[in-house]
Amino acid sequence: MKKNTLSYKCQQYAMFAGVSTLAFVAVVILPFVYGLYLTFTSWDGVSKNKPFVGLSNYADTFSDTAFWQALGRTVIYSAIAVVLVNVVAFALAYLVTRGVKGQNFFRAGFFIPNLIGGIVLGYVWKFVFNRAFVALGNAFSIGALSTSWLATTSGAMLCLIIVSVWQYAGYMMLIYVAGFMSVPKDLIEAAQIDGCTPNQTMFHVTVPLMTSSFVQCLFLTITRCFMVYDVNLSLTKGEPFNTSVMAAMHVYNQAFTYKKYGVGQAEALILFLVCAVVGVTQVYIGKKAEVAA
Amino acid sequence: MKKLVALALAALMALSLAACGGGGGGGETADGSADNGGGSVNITIFNSKSEIQSQFEEMAAEYSAATGVGVEVYFSSDTVAAHMATRYASNDPYTLAMVDAKDVYSLGAEHAIDLSGENWVPNTQYAVSVGDQVMGFPVCVEARGLMYNADAIEAITGEPFNPADYATLDAFKGLLDTLVAGGMEAPVGIMKEDWSLAGHFLAEVYEEQDDVFAFVDGLYAGTESLADNAKFNALMDYFDVMKQYNYAASSPIAAEREISEQYLAEGKIAFMFGGNWDWSMINAYDYSENLGMMPVPQNLDDGANQKLVGGGSKFFFIDSSEYTSDEQRQAAKDFLNWLVFDPAGNKFLTEDCALVPAFSNIAAENLDPLGASVKEYADAGNLIDNYNYLPDDHYSLMGAELQKYLAGQQDRAALAAAIEAYWASVTPVER
Repeated sequence: MKKNTLSYKCQQYAMFAGVSTLAFVAVVILPFVYGLYLTFTSWDGVSKNKPFVGLSNYADTFSDTAFWQALGRTVIYSAIAVVLVNVVAFALAYLVTRGVKGQNFFRAGFFIPNLIGGIVLGYVWKFVFNRAFVALGNAFSIGALSTSWLATTSGAMLCLIIVSVWQYAGYMMLIYVAGFMSVPKDLIEAAQIDGCTPNQTMFHVTVPLMTSSFVQCLFLTITRCFMVYDVNLSLTKGEPFNTSVMAAMHVYNQAFTYKKYGVGQAEALILFLVCAVVGVTQVYIGKKAEVAA
Repeated sequence: MKKLVALALAALMALSLAACGGGGGGGETADGSADNGGGSVNITIFNSKSEIQSQFEEMAAEYSAATGVGVEVYFSSDTVAAHMATRYASNDPYTLAMVDAKDVYSLGAEHAIDLSGENWVPNTQYAVSVGDQVMGFPVCVEARGLMYNADAIEAITGEPFNPADYATLDAFKGLLDTLVAGGMEAPVGIMKEDWSLAGHFLAEVYEEQDDVFAFVDGLYAGTESLADNAKFNALMDYFDVMKQYNYAASSPIAAEREISEQYLAEGKIAFMFGGNWDWSMINAYDYSENLGMMPVPQNLDDGANQKLVGGGSKFFFIDSSEYTSDEQRQAAKDFLNWLVFDPAGNKFLTEDCALVPAFSNIAAENLDPLGASVKEYADAGNLIDNYNYLPDDHYSLMGAELQKYLAGQQDRAALAAAIEAYWASVTPVER
């Protein structure tokens, strides 16, 4: 049998990747193309007619200041949250790979927040911020805690960041733990014999060998933070004064609540492009920095 | 062994794929479909009032058993319009959908059938018509106003509380001062939710104008000046008083609805702006007996301080698409007639769900205290109509502006300017 004919290759491809290609096209590519088409219509989400309006949705998007504010807010939120999540996760991973007693228990414990859905988590933390902290603040006369943080503009953002860090740090910790474990022991011993201090071992041997963990974690946190919706919805719902509306929530509101499906879809596309550019750039740079042992 | 595992995995995958394709009902709860004989009709009902979902499910089972029509009731916590959009997008509409008036206007022309010929039409003044066709069946009457806890007030004043005595803002403020002097430190609560502030309270500024349609047209055209509007100022004067006596005055945006309702139910506060739907939350707490609703107090003698604002609320429409058969449509019509003309249907509406009936032939004895107040005002003709043509983003964007005002971050002039700017920029809603 000839193995370099086109039909043979097609057959092989269909056999091994056919089903997944089909599924991928059906649930990712087709909706994406259809969504792209909807950005050129003034559909309201329910009507049978989808009037073609050309590029006017994009014009609306560019003049929609609330969207750009939400996007700017999302960038700030993501920048802070991504850094904090990874710092905390790395620190946790470091601690639970030192061989402390019961470290498996700690690993499981730190990971658990990630198993709770974002919606539930938001409600739980809303209770903590609105009642528990306020009760503590009043009981011990701590001024900063005596009113709910969720009621102020910057406080609501802070709450969102805290909850995100709490939620994702455990997950990222697992990836960093795997990274730590993958660093060959002999290299570390070699470094120590050569006279490296623990800090030098960490930053010149362990961390460079863990670059792939960093790339993965950063990619995951960046995309998740940019697309944050569930915690945003249940924790702040955009309040106060719609100043904690993130980009994804704004898109949802445009499309479904305000019934401007076309505009919402166009804004979603822009959000996608921003995410894609940031994510791909980050992975590209990260991959270049990777070293092999 | 390996083969077996592979086989099991393959089976598992096939199963999960099938579940994805076949299920499709993610996010909703369905119940109440009774086992009925082959060949009979099944209808689906969308319920958008969360507080009566369990009653609906029980009713569906009983109704199916009695009539042989399979009834499935669905509920979704999504925005009604958003949920309908997803159902229509997936070509899987409900036979009978309970939506808000504005949804009947926006969906009716394309998706609803004409119900003008139905027997219940002459018995109600709250049905929604699109063009000259009756399309929305009113589920109940709901009204907005000031909720009060008479027991809490009487415990301090020592005399029977008669809401009519406090129709003017001056009298009302006097009462609040008495309550404060009597030991109730902060006698009122304010819901900070955007739908309450803008959808319900701010809407009264429009609805209580002499001619709401002309007024809104003026807002669209940018010719109305709210700062000079007597109604706007009267209602904002009332709002200022509420702000002053708010139990959460130090951090009004942190006030949670659950807590405020609990305070009102238990008499920790005496007044809160709301509507008879708030009963579904109040009755979760240890409420005192004598609750009720009264008009919003204001120093204007246009009669609005004698009336609640409201009317028909939640409307059923029957789907007109090809995905619903004529038999199903007939079954849905029968169901609506059952609600209005059958004693069991009446009992379901007024007793099981404690809704204020929208039909003149239905008597309602066992209403909750807030519903009883609403019925009293409705029967006396003292309801100011809802304005059902607010733009979709009004409650959210204007809610944010009122929240700023509530939190003391902008003054009345800035609020008026923000509202005027919003109306001037928004695309007018057809009506």
